[in-house]
Amino acid sequence: MITVFMQQALNGVVLGCIYALTALGLSLVFGILEVANFAHGELYMLGAFMALFATKLVGAPFFIALFISMSIMAIFGALTERAVFRPIVGKPMINSMLLSFGLSTALANLALFFFKADPRKIDSGLADIRFRFLGLYVTAERLSVLVLSIVLVAVLAWFIQYTKTGKAMRAISQDRVAAQLAGINVRRIYSVTFAISGALAAAAGTMVGAIFFVSPEMGFAVVLKSFVVIILGGFGSIRGVILAAIIIGLAESLGGGYLSYAYKDAYPFLLLVLLFMLRPQGLIGGRRS
Amino acid sequence: MKIQARVFVISIALLALLFVPRLFSMDYYMHMFVMSEIYAVLALSLALIVGFSGQVSMGHAAFYGIGAYVSALLSVNYGLSFWVTIWIAGFVASLVSFMIGALVLRLRGHFLAITTAFFGILVGLVFNNWIDVTNGPMGVAGIPRPAPLNFPGFTVAIQTRAHYYYLGLAFAVLVAFLVHRLVNSRIGNALIAIRENEELARSIGINAMAYKVLAFSIGGGLAGMAGSFYAHYILFISPVTFTVAESINMLVMIIFGGMSTLFGPILGAVFLTVLPEFLRMAGSLRLVIYGVALVIFIIWMPLGVWGSLKSFWLGKRQASLSEVGEHQEHS
Repeated sequence: MITVFMQQALNGVVLGCIYALTALGLSLVFGILEVANFAHGELYMLGAFMALFATKLVGAPFFIALFISMSIMAIFGALTERAVFRPIVGKPMINSMLLSFGLSTALANLALFFFKADPRKIDSGLADIRFRFLGLYVTAERLSVLVLSIVLVAVLAWFIQYTKTGKAMRAISQDRVAAQLAGINVRRIYSVTFAISGALAAAAGTMVGAIFFVSPEMGFAVVLKSFVVIILGGFGSIRGVILAAIIIGLAESLGGGYLSYAYKDAYPFLLLVLLFMLRPQGLIGGRRS
Repeated sequence: MKIQARVFVISIALLALLFVPRLFSMDYYMHMFVMSEIYAVLALSLALIVGFSGQVSMGHAAFYGIGAYVSALLSVNYGLSFWVTIWIAGFVASLVSFMIGALVLRLRGHFLAITTAFFGILVGLVFNNWIDVTNGPMGVAGIPRPAPLNFPGFTVAIQTRAHYYYLGLAFAVLVAFLVHRLVNSRIGNALIAIRENEELARSIGINAMAYKVLAFSIGGGLAGMAGSFYAHYILFISPVTFTVAESINMLVMIIFGGMSTLFGPILGAVFLTVLPEFLRMAGSLRLVIYGVALVIFIIWMPLGVWGSLKSFWLGKRQASLSEVGEHQEHS
C-alpha cells in the first residue's frame, strides 16, 4: 500500500521536473518580453520530434540526441522570436496571446501534416535498466530525467545569477528602459531568452518522449499546466516555480491514482482556486501581476 | 443629424438582411448565416467582457456549453419548450459565470486568461465524464425544435433554416441593442474606466470588482442563451463543440473585427464563420493557413479590421497609438 503510494509520488516528482523545465522557459520569456507564449508547447513537441529523428534516422545515442534537439530548438526559438514576437513586443497582452495561439495552431498542424498522428516513443536504451531502492522500482530513464532536470536548472540558475548576459536579463525584467539606457542590447537578450526557452522545452519534450510518447498534439496541455505552475509559484522566482511544478506533478499523479483518472487535468485548476482563496499573493510571496 | 444618419444606415442594413434568405436559398449558405448569427451573439457577449471591461476570458465556450446542455437536457428529459429553456439556460449560465467571476476576477491579465481557460477545461471534463447526466462523449441527441409560434391569426412553425435565420436575426439584433444600451450607460462608462485604469476608477468611487462581475455575468448569460439556440438548431450537442479552442476562436473573432466597437465583433463573427468554409479546399493544411493568417493579421492590424479602418478614416494615427498604450498599462 505504502509502496504504491511512494511509486505514484515518485512518478509525480518526475512529472514535476518536466513541468519545471517547461515552466522556467515560459517564465523567462514572460518576464523579459512580457508576452505569454502559448506556442511554447510546440517548441516542446518539435524538440521531442527532433530527438526522435536523431535516434531513429541518425542512430544517435539518447544523450547526444537530447543535445542535438536542444541546439536545434534553441536556434528555432531565436528565429521565432525575431520573425514573430519582436514586432509585437509592448503591444496589448491579448495580441501576443492570440498571435502565439496562431503560431501554436500552425506549428501543431504542420507537424501533424508531416509527422502524422501515430504516437511514437523515443528509444533511450535506458528503459530496461532498473534500480531497486527502498522497495521502489526506478528505471534508469526516470532517474536520468531527475538528474538531467536538476543539472539543467542548476546551470540556468548559475547562468542568470553570475554571467553578464544573465545579469542583463534580470535587469531587463526589472526595468526595460533603464536597462536600455545602461547600454544593454535588449534585442540580443530577447533572442538569447527565446533560445534558452526553446532549449529547455526541447529537453523536457525529449524526456517525455522517452518515458511516454511523442505526438503532434502533446503541446497544448503542457503549456497550460506550465502557466499554472508559474502562477502558483509566484512569477519570477526559480525556487517557487520548481516547488509549484512538483506540487502540480504530485497532484496529477496522486489525484489520478487515488481520486479519479478522468479528472486529472482538472486538479491544477482546483489547486489554483484553492490558492486564490487562501494565498492571493502566490505560493512564495513573489511579485504581484 | 449624425445619430439620425446612423439610425438610417442601420435600418437599411437590417432591411437588406431580411432579404438574405431570398437571395441564398441553398441550405449550405443558410446554415453558415445562422451560425454567423449565433457567433455574433457570442462575440458581442465576449466583447462586453474583453473589449469593454478589459478582462480577457478564455473560458467563454464553457458558458455557451452550459447553456446548451441545460436547455437540451431540460427539453429532452422534462419536455420543456425552447421558449422556456432558453431563459433557464441563460439564467444558469449567468449564475455560474457570476460565481466564477466573483472568484477569479481579482486576477489580472494573463493570470485571469489562464484561470478561465482552466475553468473551460474543467467544464469540458464534466461534460465528458458525468455520463449519467450528459451522456458523456456520445452527446445529447433528439433535442426538439422550438415549438410553433402562435401569433394572433396565424402560426409559424420553426422548421426550415430560413425560420431559424429570422429567429437568430431577431436574437442577434436584440443582443446588439442590449449591449449598445449597456455600454452607453453609466455601467458602460464605469466598465470602460476600469479597462483604461482600474486604480484610477477605484479612486473615484467605482466598485471595480462589482462592475467586472456584472459584465462577466451578463456576458456569460448571453452566451448561455446562444448555447440554447444552438442546441435547438443543430438538435444534437456533444462536448467537442465547447472546448477551449472554441473560446479562442471567439477571441479571434472579436480581435479580428476590433473589440472595443459594437460592429467589430459582429463583423468578425460573420467573417470567421464564412471564411474557414472557403479554406476547406486546402484540406489538412487548413489550420496551418488559419494559424499563419492569424499571426500575420495580428502583426499588421493590431486594432482589428474595423478598428484599423476607423482610425484610417479618422486620420488619427496618434489616437490609435494611444489606445494601444492605454491597453498595455493594465495588462
